[in-house]
Amino acid sequence: MTTRATRSPRRRTVIALLVVLSVIAAFVVRLVDIQVVNASDHIEQSRDLASGTEITLRGTRGDIVDTDGSVLATSTLVYDVAIDPQLAAQGIKKRDGDGNVVIGADGKPEMIAWPELAARIAAVTGQKAEEVTAIVVDTLATDPDSQWAQVERYVSTETYRELAALDLPFLTFTAVPSRTYPDGAVAGNVIGFLNSDGDALEGIEKLQNACLAAHNGTLTYQRGRDGVKIPGTEVEKAAVDGGTLELTLDSDLQWYMQQLISEESARYKAEWGGIIVMEVATGKIRAFAETSSVDPNDPAASKAEDRGSRLARFSYEPGSTYKPVTAATVIEKAGLTHLSSVVVPSKMTFDNGAVINDSESHATETMTLTGGLVRSSNVAMSQFGALVDPQTRYEYLTRFGVGEKTALNWSAEPDTGFRLLPEDWDNQTYYTTTFGQAFTVTATQVASVYQTIANGGVRMPAQLVESCTHADGTVVTPDLPEPVRVIEESTADEVGLMLENVFAQGTLADDIKIDGYRMAGKTGTAQIYNGKGGYKKNLYFTSLVGYAPAEDPQYVVLTVFDEPKKERMSSANRSVFKKAMTQVLKHYRIMPSESDTPLLPLTD
Amino acid sequence: MSVNAWDSDLLVAPFPTTDPARRDDVDRRLHAVTAPSHARRPRLLYGVIAVAGAVAIAGAQMGLSILMTQGSYELKELTTQQRTVDWQKQILEDDVAGLSSPQYLAANAAARGMVTGQPPSYLRLSDGQIIGAGKAATGTSSIDALKKAAVPNALAGGVPLATDPDSSLASGVTADAELVIDPAVPPAVADGLPTPNTH
Repeated sequence: MTTRATRSPRRRTVIALLVVLSVIAAFVVRLVDIQVVNASDHIEQSRDLASGTEITLRGTRGDIVDTDGSVLATSTLVYDVAIDPQLAAQGIKKRDGDGNVVIGADGKPEMIAWPELAARIAAVTGQKAEEVTAIVVDTLATDPDSQWAQVERYVSTETYRELAALDLPFLTFTAVPSRTYPDGAVAGNVIGFLNSDGDALEGIEKLQNACLAAHNGTLTYQRGRDGVKIPGTEVEKAAVDGGTLELTLDSDLQWYMQQLISEESARYKAEWGGIIVMEVATGKIRAFAETSSVDPNDPAASKAEDRGSRLARFSYEPGSTYKPVTAATVIEKAGLTHLSSVVVPSKMTFDNGAVINDSESHATETMTLTGGLVRSSNVAMSQFGALVDPQTRYEYLTRFGVGEKTALNWSAEPDTGFRLLPEDWDNQTYYTTTFGQAFTVTATQVASVYQTIANGGVRMPAQLVESCTHADGTVVTPDLPEPVRVIEESTADEVGLMLENVFAQGTLADDIKIDGYRMAGKTGTAQIYNGKGGYKKNLYFTSLVGYAPAEDPQYVVLTVFDEPKKERMSSANRSVFKKAMTQVLKHYRIMPSESDTPLLPLTD
Repeated sequence: MSVNAWDSDLLVAPFPTTDPARRDDVDRRLHAVTAPSHARRPRLLYGVIAVAGAVAIAGAQMGLSILMTQGSYELKELTTQQRTVDWQKQILEDDVAGLSSPQYLAANAAARGMVTGQPPSYLRLSDGQIIGAGKAATGTSSIDALKKAAVPNALAGGVPLATDPDSSLASGVTADAELVIDPAVPPAVADGLPTPNTH
């Protein structure tokens, strides 16, 4: 039993304990507050107040290399030169050969005046002496206490070291990370460029910024009076350099194609032109060339519309280059062969009232499926295509990539695909879809159609980025769509054989023949939408696409011209295609074919 | 082991044995006890050792500290050297930037009169057979990498060509006429192909 007497000392003990505990608790709360909750603030404060120094360690933006490892984009440093006008205006003391100050007649040190120093600076930077003099004079005129003015921005390391060698105490230099592109405009359309602040604006630089961008680190340390680091006080958070991005492009081939397409576009007076070289087995793009590519070293030198890639952003109704898709559809779904034939007049009015013309008038004849492709007859392909219902044709076109985004995932890719779904196709569209009208595609998608046929019916995703190697050595390959089996291998072989006959028996045969090689392909003269519900008159988007060697296809070459005016049809593309294909065959040391194209009958 | 521990051991050691079995002998025959050896002397020795050790440690620490400071001065000097070398490397890299670009190489080749764009032929070594067209080059290049240079490079723009210092990628000066062999007139083969004299 507790009495008042026994309770009193115990209560005192408890109270004392509680007081002690509450004091401890207060300390613990404060400790947690200092060490955990506001730790970063205190660390920052200690940095500001203490004699420590914090240096930002800049990571380097990663390189972009081509498939052989030759560098297309790399990082370097340039320098901003600033001046303290107040100090500069005072000049510097003149020194003799031994470094002693020269004393003048009046007993004061002789001074070298600012204008003379300005002339020395100007001689290095390449500016005019008066210009440099004026920088200081003008700045002081507006603000006599001014301690900062810009002399020149982005000077090279060489200029910077020469300026530093002048030993002028009022000059300061700030290193600025900069990007340099050793191959200039080679693949400039693909690589893109940065602005002067180092932000990626275009192309791969922008699309793959996550791989290329560096992450800055910090170095903090205490310094002694003489500026020497006090050992053991360094705390380093290392910078992480950007990754190395490997493209599928081959820079030598890319240069040749750019040079070639520029010369040929000028020759045929085209608005612009482009060449795509794609590897058949992989879908990897080895050249993606177009006219007027930007030089990323100096994007301002290009017109605004030349700074991006037209080739990646242009979409068009492909026209005749999609006739092989119709051929593949009717072989698989209507049981036709290359020998199946129809009667073809040069102009035909169908039962539903649609009128289809061939581009050139000809006598009515019985054309085989091969003949329809070789003569590029709209009337023939309309009749063949009509043997299969619109929904199935739509599905085949979709499987060949129409209406899908390309795997390139380019910025500002155009909206492509069908204007109308098959149930809404009008009488004319019912037939025009058999020869590449009423839907739009990109040039890359056209190249992929021929890659599919050349690759035994399997479409590999078009690919420009090979891999990203991060600074720690991990290699990341891009996440690409799975390969798609579009048509049966036997169908692909039969269509391929017919396409070989296009090159062997078509009107272009003599112009594009490369001695010793079997080739397959197709021309296309696409009408251009005029923006007012019709087509431009007598102006076309011409293309010629093919692959070689036909018996063992290795590379697809696609050439396009926008509105060539010297020759307005796809015949304009013959010489550029032949030269481009010759270069590809030579570049990759592809052996000539050991057989000739088996000739198929065109008429029945 | 501490100095105190040493001392206590030494103090215990000289005491006569207390074995009860021999107690009787000691009681019977008394004889003078030899004085115990002086126990305080070793204390001084070990004290000296301890102090000397402490001094040595302090000395070594100072020495190390001096070396480290010296090391950081050397480091600073080497860092300065490194920076100078980095600058030189950067300057040299800037100088040659663009010279390895394909358009500059091709312009050099074009200035030498070299042509490109001919269909390839291959010589099979096993039987000496020519694979491909096997025709002579036509002599005209498929592209004109010098006069119609269309792929700019700001880094190599005004740089004189190695093969023709009078022209550059931007200037597009023509190749020397005498360097271009007229393909219409191949050199006559009078006595078969020229062969080297070997022994």
